[in-house]
Amino acid sequence: MIGTLVVKDIKLFVRNRFFLIVTALGLVLYPIIYFLIPDQVDESLGMAFYIEDRESALYQRLTDEPGDYVLFDTEAEMLTALQETGDYFVGLSLPADLSAAAARGEAVELNAYYAPGVPAEARQIFHDVLVLFANAVNPETLANLTRFNETEFVLGNDLMGAPLSLRDRFVPLFLVFIVMIEIFGLATLLNRDVENGTARALITGPLRLHQFFAGKALMGLILAFGQLLFLSAVMGVLGVSTLLLLTTLLLGSFLMVGTGFFVAALAKDNTSAMAWAIVFIIPMVIPSMTVLLPGLSTGWMEIIPSYYFVDSLHRILNFGAGWADVSRNLAMLLIGGAATLAIGTTAIRRKF
Amino acid sequence: MLSVEDLSYTYPGGTEAVRGIDFTIEKGEIFGFLGPSGAGKSTTQKVLIRLLRGFQGHVTVLGKPLNEWDDSYYEQVGVAFELPNHYQKLTATENLALFRSLYSGETHDPANLLEMVGLEEDADTRLSQFSKGMQMRLNFVRALLHKPDLLFLDEPTTGLDPVNGQKIKEIIRAQKEAGRTIFLTTHDMTVADQICDRVAFIIDGKITLIDSPRNLRLQHGERRVRVEFHRDGLSSPAQQAEFPLDGLGDNSEFLEVLRNNPIETIHTQEATLEDIFIETTGRTLT
Repeated sequence: MIGTLVVKDIKLFVRNRFFLIVTALGLVLYPIIYFLIPDQVDESLGMAFYIEDRESALYQRLTDEPGDYVLFDTEAEMLTALQETGDYFVGLSLPADLSAAAARGEAVELNAYYAPGVPAEARQIFHDVLVLFANAVNPETLANLTRFNETEFVLGNDLMGAPLSLRDRFVPLFLVFIVMIEIFGLATLLNRDVENGTARALITGPLRLHQFFAGKALMGLILAFGQLLFLSAVMGVLGVSTLLLLTTLLLGSFLMVGTGFFVAALAKDNTSAMAWAIVFIIPMVIPSMTVLLPGLSTGWMEIIPSYYFVDSLHRILNFGAGWADVSRNLAMLLIGGAATLAIGTTAIRRKF
Repeated sequence: MLSVEDLSYTYPGGTEAVRGIDFTIEKGEIFGFLGPSGAGKSTTQKVLIRLLRGFQGHVTVLGKPLNEWDDSYYEQVGVAFELPNHYQKLTATENLALFRSLYSGETHDPANLLEMVGLEEDADTRLSQFSKGMQMRLNFVRALLHKPDLLFLDEPTTGLDPVNGQKIKEIIRAQKEAGRTIFLTTHDMTVADQICDRVAFIIDGKITLIDSPRNLRLQHGERRVRVEFHRDGLSSPAQQAEFPLDGLGDNSEFLEVLRNNPIETIHTQEATLEDIFIETTGRTLT
């Protein structure tokens, strides 16, 4: 009987033009966007220099030792390149009397031109480097520089030389987006069955209410998991810790099913189902933004159940996390899904 | 077939919808449950189709207490709701096939059922394109799908044109002839009068009267006959006269009217079910 219900619901889903278009768009557009996003990170920080005194030791040194910088003949050329090429994050114009003024202990006037979009933190770091540089070219302070031996430790995977590309960061985002849309689909299908009386017609036949709920939950799980599986396969991430990834995708789908039931319980009609779905989908998507912009991540985000889905995906796909690393997340996903499903089914029962 | 003793039901909010009602329905009987909105008809039907649990009293259906029935109950009973409740994105055949697949026993072929109510040409049309009347006819035959012994029909002719309404009434009578028992909930007194063997009036959760429509008409109607006739030829205005039914053949005044005047109509003055309902309950059915 449950199988019959699932087939019926999938048929209804496919015949609903809105659901079909939204789902198809997601399954087609997300992979296209995925492959358009750069899969490599340019780690170099290009710098542009204009040094007025071509006889200076600094000019000779920069000419003799090529690096991630380019020397320009005029300040105007440097500024044009800085604005138009996007290859440099800063351009430095060094006056002719730099060394002499530094030697005299006088303040040196420097113009630092930053490319648009360079964050304040980067500017501050560059400023500190400049101070060190100024001291390094001053013979008096050079003698008194504190010297130290540094030992580097990298906590977690050392991403030097293999940083996370924007494409990598987008994978959890796409997976969360595609599954969250199904909250709306499931909630609407469920709500229609209750509001239109078809659920009542079914349960005044041999079908029992728990079977009706089981059918709906299974249909939601198949829809969500199927789409996650498809998208993962297209993006080529299924080979990464396959069993762990599949488990995470399944539990993420389960959380979606629970949330769909919860939304359906709150809804009075199809319009309010859509409104309630949006109310839940927006916060559920927020944790995935922290993968793109890690600075947004804060402790309170852990109260959003989808955080555990996003965090697990991010760790598994981008940092090679294993079962032990994400077991707490998976447990939280299971609890979140079960809790919302239990509350949702209890509330929907009252509508009969 | 169905026995209800001292049935009461109070909703969780405290509303007492049914207050100690008693009735029995014999096998092969069409039993009409009549009353205005909010009288307790739907609550009683919901109890009987086990949508509402936690009732007080004793209900026996098909020889077994209602509480003791398991899920096989729904293999024995068929339910047609007042409002059509179908999957609008599925065709008529798909809707029936879906419900048919849930039953384990013998079932009708959906095509035959659709033909029975004149929907055979619309078998592959999605329900979203059906009129309300077409949906009601489908609603009705869905209840017959698994050949149940007991049918619960809620306002089965609502929204139907006279031809289709008549067709549904004939099918209901045919079900009775086939030995099925029918519990008909309606506020349409004409339908009840035409097809019910017995009717019960329910108001404010209590049954006020149970009898056959014929008996009710005879008990509550006037034993008189009303004649409309033209005293001075067909061009003159029609006049009315009433005569007692008893001794009518010897009533010289009546016989004189018949012999000497063109007669327009002659009607006995038994009460309609609606008249009796208003008389016994003091309420109308709206």
